[in-house]
Amino acid sequence: MKTFEYFKPNTIEEVSLKLLEYGDSKILNGGTDLIVALNEGRSCPSIVVDIKGIEKLKEISYCEDNGLTVGACTTLNDMMNNRYVIGNYKILAEAAHTVGSCQVRNRATMVGNITNASPLADTATPLLILDAFVKIFGPGGEREISIHDFFISVRKTCLKAGEVVVGIRIPAYKEILGLYQKHARRDAVDLATVCASIAKIDGDIRIALGSVAPTPIRCRRTEEYLRDKDLTEIVIEEAANLALDEASPIDDVRASRVHRQDIIKVLVKRGLKELVI
Amino acid sequence: MRYIGESINRVDGIRKVTGALKYVDDIKLSRMLYAAVKRSPYPHAKLLKVDISKAEKLPGVKAVITGKDVANRVGLYLEDKTFLATDRIRYRGEGVAAVAAESKEIALAAIGLIEVEYEELPAVTNAVEGLKKDAPLVHPDMKEYKWGPIFFPEPGTNISNHYKIRKGDVEKGFAEAEFIVENEFFVPHIQHCPIETHSVIAQRDPDESLTIWSTCQSPYAVQKALSVAFNLPLNKVRVLSPAVGGGFGGKAGTTLEGIVIPLAMKTNGRPVKLTYTREDEFINSFVRQGLHATIKTGINKNGKIVAVKNTFIWDGGAYTEYGVNIVRAGGYASTGPYDVPNVWTDSICVYTNHPVGGPYRGFGMSEIHFAIEQNIDMLAKKLDINPVEIRRINGLRPGGKNATGQVVDVCGLQDCLEDVVKKLDWENSIKQSPSKPNRVVGRGISCAYKAPSMPNNVASSAIIKINDDGTAHLMVSAQDIGQGSDTVLTQIASEVLSIPPNRITIKTGDTDHTPYEWQTVASRITYCTGNAVIKACEDAKEQLLGLAQLKLGIEKDKLYLKDGYINSDTQPQKKIAINELALGLSLEDGSGIHGPIIGRGSFIPPGVKNTDKQTGQGEKPVAFWTYGCQGVEIEVDTETGKIEVLKVASSFDVGKIINPQLIEGQIEGGIIQGLGSAIFEELIISKGVVLNPNFVDYKIPTADDMPEMIISFIENEEPTGPFGARGVGEPCMVPTAPAIANAVNDALGIRIMSLPITPEKILRALKEK
Repeated sequence: MKTFEYFKPNTIEEVSLKLLEYGDSKILNGGTDLIVALNEGRSCPSIVVDIKGIEKLKEISYCEDNGLTVGACTTLNDMMNNRYVIGNYKILAEAAHTVGSCQVRNRATMVGNITNASPLADTATPLLILDAFVKIFGPGGEREISIHDFFISVRKTCLKAGEVVVGIRIPAYKEILGLYQKHARRDAVDLATVCASIAKIDGDIRIALGSVAPTPIRCRRTEEYLRDKDLTEIVIEEAANLALDEASPIDDVRASRVHRQDIIKVLVKRGLKELVI
Repeated sequence: MRYIGESINRVDGIRKVTGALKYVDDIKLSRMLYAAVKRSPYPHAKLLKVDISKAEKLPGVKAVITGKDVANRVGLYLEDKTFLATDRIRYRGEGVAAVAAESKEIALAAIGLIEVEYEELPAVTNAVEGLKKDAPLVHPDMKEYKWGPIFFPEPGTNISNHYKIRKGDVEKGFAEAEFIVENEFFVPHIQHCPIETHSVIAQRDPDESLTIWSTCQSPYAVQKALSVAFNLPLNKVRVLSPAVGGGFGGKAGTTLEGIVIPLAMKTNGRPVKLTYTREDEFINSFVRQGLHATIKTGINKNGKIVAVKNTFIWDGGAYTEYGVNIVRAGGYASTGPYDVPNVWTDSICVYTNHPVGGPYRGFGMSEIHFAIEQNIDMLAKKLDINPVEIRRINGLRPGGKNATGQVVDVCGLQDCLEDVVKKLDWENSIKQSPSKPNRVVGRGISCAYKAPSMPNNVASSAIIKINDDGTAHLMVSAQDIGQGSDTVLTQIASEVLSIPPNRITIKTGDTDHTPYEWQTVASRITYCTGNAVIKACEDAKEQLLGLAQLKLGIEKDKLYLKDGYINSDTQPQKKIAINELALGLSLEDGSGIHGPIIGRGSFIPPGVKNTDKQTGQGEKPVAFWTYGCQGVEIEVDTETGKIEVLKVASSFDVGKIINPQLIEGQIEGGIIQGLGSAIFEELIISKGVVLNPNFVDYKIPTADDMPEMIISFIENEEPTGPFGARGVGEPCMVPTAPAIANAVNDALGIRIMSLPITPEKILRALKEK
């Protein structure tokens, strides 16, 4: 029978202690993944630690030195409607807008989206190209790690025992041009078959792809190739081929490997063409 | 007419939009128990042993049953199923045992304690393979089954029905043909996806009578199946269907009721509830059957089709008690709405170890039209004539003959075709340019026809009782499953009795209190039940006029009903209100006569007869045919393969529109469901396992996917229909998917021969081009 303890502390320290105390714990944030998993019996924790009682995790702030900080419990709808996000990180707002339905986004959070560590997480690819930092609280206090070190594999992050993600920090940039693209079976309320964030950030082209490898990926070699190049048709074609090399998509119930490969090229080309002035 | 043809608001609308309507799962009875079902992990296996001893001992468990408790075979057309497996598993998910407990959680825990031994058998996972001589047999005991006389199972094989059409001489026809083309198509299994999943509560009273609350389309069909399964007289089985949150065929017949009742037999009067999860709905209710279709067509140089040879191999799934009739319908409609002199059709229902195939809006027609309507476009291309022209040449007209040799009487197909051509400005306009780069525009057209696929002599009835104040109660067992029958039947009663719809309350779905109705299926309710309602109201009217004749001293045949009064033209000053006669007539001496006015009406479609067993030919095999046409405009992204359906024009010959607002809504729903089946929907089944039994990976359209819809109607009255009406609930879904497939060809020059038309298939076809 499905039984577990439920704990809703007011401080992050208590969360960490409970996580250490119980090995098989789950954090309840928006709950849009966890509750479904509990209901379906895919997750059977002995304790569920609800972090929504910690007020400061709901904060979202911006300053030019540190950039944008989004607390773990900020809902996707609150985040994508925040004026700093719309003004300075539009690509993130666009990606967040494609997660689930409006009802889901009223509860779901970006931190939940990435700690779930799904290869197709919509907010992961913008965070990768924005070189975001993951703020973690644990037994050793608070630390910040690069988003590039966060994802380990499918549904696996680098979080250690007693650690909890308290927020995401995105550095400030002068200019971000580009867009988030999502190819899915259906335009609304669907998971990405392939998704891509492609943007020119303070002059450098950056490319990240989702649902093409065990984790969302940055296409570093493609970016290297594009450095200081004019985006001619030939260059764009070559970049698309390079990005394809960096990806390792699989067959699953949503699409075949071949289809994902086709779409990777289309999204990379379209994303780069957007950057041609 | 006063009420027919008016957009009366839905009589059930307020209760539905305010959430006040109680569906079965909303019902909570005192001391209710909850059921759970132990299901097989194998698609095909011998059931060796079911050990329930540990489950029975779990505190809170009140009853545990196995196949032994439900051993009688049941089925609507072919008695091939038991409600739980007895000795053999035929699909993954088939129930082997069930539990009733104090809570859902305890019931589920008890299920985990049931130990089952299986011996896995090789499975039939493809209907074409299932026809092979060495294929494993899904029903080795078929010869012991009972079936209706219009079905042709072949014991010793996996064929549960082989329906034939033999019209004219196909070989002679092919010899006369200028071109012969042969094409193969595939239509996968899909599911209805009603917003409300199946739910049942059963309770046994101390006097041994059973009460069942079931979210079902057909309370009387459920009552009969349960009576057979449990050897109970009909007067001891009460089935209530309080509300149905979407049916689309999936809640026709009987599914989970038979699991809950034997539990309720063992719980000493405590009611037992079982509500399906979405996963159950996808796997353990009905799904639409798969179809492998091969069509060989001969056409002469004038564009006239001279011969057709069809092989339809249906993937019926583990039980085809209902599916055999879908296969029959697919057979007698196998030419589509075209006049073909020489026809040879084999429509074959094959048992497989897949989920149970059953009725789904369109009942075989959506499946066969996907093949027929693409095939006819391919023929047109061969002759270099346009898709509209080939349909003008071959489409059925009054006086023509359909596949069964029946002479066509009323048929507005050509009018519908011209209507759609005009609405889409098909022949004059240049195609509009695409809205974005990398997109191309395509247009496609498809005709369709459908008849109610039901036994010849299915019956309907209605009772109307006039209340003391001149209001009325109309009682039928036709179920409003979203199609609007409550409103339409009320309007029909209003028209005959001149009592406005807000003064008539319709009551449905209670076999103890509402009169017999065969089933709410087959687009038959407006036609069949509508006729019964007319008869009931005419009966009440006769009684009222008879009494008024005495009261007013005016002959009955000079009297008529208007605005709630009995009037005459001869003496307009003399009139009497209906309410004054509602409980009978009071005479001047203080005595009374007649008593309350209660009208009764019964109906069976007139003159529908069996077809010839060998040839499928017959003069009137169905009650009526509904014809129509749809045209679509789409855009396809040539790089991603994604389709956007921009516009759908629809025209159907519905005989007579009873309620314009409701019929438009019904057509919109059909178009969207057709669109879903065209570009999204498919149960992905691998080795008997459904891989996407959820809305994460089984997509249906959202509001975002709705195209512009231009909906119009032709009204050639149906001679035997109520006020000339005929059914359209299913037909309106039939042409959408083939029209989209034809538009894909128009846009890209490729043919996608299987549903759904996914971006992946489009890109693959473009690469192969």
